[in-house]
Amino acid sequence: MTGSAEPALSASEKQAFIDKYGVTPANASHDQLIKMIEDMFAAGLVTKVEPFPETDREFAKLLDELRPLSADQLRAKLVISGWLLKPYGKEQMRCQECMYYLVHRRWCDLPELDLPAKPDWWCRLWRI
Amino acid sequence: MANLLWLQGGACSGNTMSFLNAEEPSACDLVTDFGINILWQPSLGLELGDNVKTILQKCISGEIKLDIFVFEGTVVNAPNGTGEWNRFCGRPMKEWVKELSAAAQFVVAIGDCATYGGIPAMAPNPSESVGMQFMKRAKGGSLGAGFVAKSGLPVINIPGCPAHPDWVTQILVAVATGRAGDLTLDEFHRPKTFFSSFTQTGCTRNMHFAYKVSTTAFGQRKGCLFYDLGCRGPMTHSPCNRILWNRHSSKTRAGMPCLGCTEPEFPFFDLAPGTVFKTQTVMGVPKDMPTGVDKTGYIKLTAAAKGMAPAWAEKDIFVV
Repeated sequence: MTGSAEPALSASEKQAFIDKYGVTPANASHDQLIKMIEDMFAAGLVTKVEPFPETDREFAKLLDELRPLSADQLRAKLVISGWLLKPYGKEQMRCQECMYYLVHRRWCDLPELDLPAKPDWWCRLWRI
Repeated sequence: MANLLWLQGGACSGNTMSFLNAEEPSACDLVTDFGINILWQPSLGLELGDNVKTILQKCISGEIKLDIFVFEGTVVNAPNGTGEWNRFCGRPMKEWVKELSAAAQFVVAIGDCATYGGIPAMAPNPSESVGMQFMKRAKGGSLGAGFVAKSGLPVINIPGCPAHPDWVTQILVAVATGRAGDLTLDEFHRPKTFFSSFTQTGCTRNMHFAYKVSTTAFGQRKGCLFYDLGCRGPMTHSPCNRILWNRHSSKTRAGMPCLGCTEPEFPFFDLAPGTVFKTQTVMGVPKDMPTGVDKTGYIKLTAAAKGMAPAWAEKDIFVV
């Protein structure tokens, strides 16, 4: 994919996924993707939790950043979306209440993310 | 026999096109079954030039009894309040509108432009357009807030972009057959029989609304269009999902978000980039809630609904 500030996965990065999980994110199952995400955070991944997109223009800019990413660019998706493995803010916003979240599939249905998620996770593209 | 005259101001003719597609009753039924005599209509009238002018003058003088005056499109006032940008039969249309409205038993505004100003009246409104008796939500418009036709009724507004053909013909039949007394109008002069319920009433996506499952891209059969794609169905008064379009469908049934075209503010947000087909939010919460719902209640309802949503609500369902 082109047009992203985030570089596409290098051959060595792809190989690292294959060595660890047997697949790259693009071909991973729901559970494998969950494991990949949790492993990244366990390894110290820091995401852009703020600023929260207060307006639709700001929201749209984040979508513009996400849209060119390939399914393999999992780390970039998590960073740009401000992904967290816990609820956020004093109102404890979380995926469970987000309108993009499919509670039975445990999946974020926002086309630009299209990732599995646990109910108590959150990202700054949260909408209710 | 009820004489009907139909003129167009700042219009695209969309409401005429819609009117000609009416089925219950049809435009022909108006003439053959309900005794409406169409004196002149821009797409149906046979007269041209001075012959049209003569009809208009006779209506104003009373030589021809004008029972129903229908107007489509905005009343154009540019430049500088003169109305010269929209001349018709030798003078500004706004002058015809004023005199014909005063002569008519009933005045009916068809479509969003004639009712509330619609798209032509959005900022910066170079044509200085207004509706017949409203400018968006503000009462007044071209004829003034206090205007009433000879029947005693103010301008009867049938909004929409365009108005559904059967809303038009059914109101015309009511007026022409002496049943205008049965019409009750809301604060924006819309007949309550059509505009008390919401566009959402009868929408086939209502179960997705209830369980807070969103359509996230055009073409999906699952999901409600309100949460992400800017649908205004829960706060727009219209019978679009009760009186179906072409007897088959509606915008929302076909996957197209309601744009709220029967409300005075249409088009919302003056069509600023990013405001069409996108639900406007503040900190992730919709700016415009379903009518009668507050933010706290909405958030609580969402939590409860998502917590008990059945699995089928997340799947594509044939909703047309």
